[in-house]
Amino acid sequence: MQNYKSIYYPPGGILLWIIIYLELITFGMAMVAFIYYGQQEKDIFVSGAASLNKTFGVVNTILLLSSGYFVAKAVQKHKARNAKSAIKSLNFSILFGFGFLLVKTLEYYLKTEAGHGLSTDTFYMFYWLLTGFHWIHVFVGICILFVIKRGIARKSESYELEDLEAGAAFWHMCDLIWLILFPALYLCF
Amino acid sequence: MNKSLNTSYIVLVFLTLATGIIFWAKLPFALIMFLALIKFWLVGFQFMELKLAHPFWKGLFLIFSAILVGIIVLLA
Repeated sequence: MQNYKSIYYPPGGILLWIIIYLELITFGMAMVAFIYYGQQEKDIFVSGAASLNKTFGVVNTILLLSSGYFVAKAVQKHKARNAKSAIKSLNFSILFGFGFLLVKTLEYYLKTEAGHGLSTDTFYMFYWLLTGFHWIHVFVGICILFVIKRGIARKSESYELEDLEAGAAFWHMCDLIWLILFPALYLCF
Repeated sequence: MNKSLNTSYIVLVFLTLATGIIFWAKLPFALIMFLALIKFWLVGFQFMELKLAHPFWKGLFLIFSAILVGIIVLLA
């Protein structure tokens, strides 16, 4: 049984939480810089934000939240020693994660077609860098979930809970970043 | 445990849709960021199971996120 009450053993492991905070600080600083520059170049940022599809953003938020829900469910099922259900939940989480990447890639395609690249203006420089790095994190997260799923399929209930929790924590981190990134980027200006 | 996870998910989806409505109603950005902060906390405490963690991790999570969102709102 995990001793979450110990300061040295937060859910997911202390190493993952150090990584999570480093990532949140990095993305956080970038978002603060985005807002700051937005105040300096208001017209550019207002027109940039107006060109973003808010519906895509809302759909992506729901996709990531749904994926996170199923990852949390997978952890619950594995704790209950139900490997089959855990794998099923991970399948759904990977599916929703792919859904997010698909919608984001479609958005990137539309932006590229409209001529909004990395060097278009300051707004789009931030847009591409912030969402691009987030996209990479989501992709890596999906790879981690896939490896975990295969591990549980092989080892069943004896698969290490710490490994599943660590992977789940990384995935939820991607969600946490998006929960702040979406309103800051799409809805602020 | 199962029930709280399901409830949290429903609340998260509801808050996401509410954010959209608040935006279209042209209500203050601070309100949107406040909802984002609530969602951030829900994911952390429910999905990441921080509710079971040592108070240090709970406090750090609450304070860090509040500071980040606070800075964004103040600058915006």
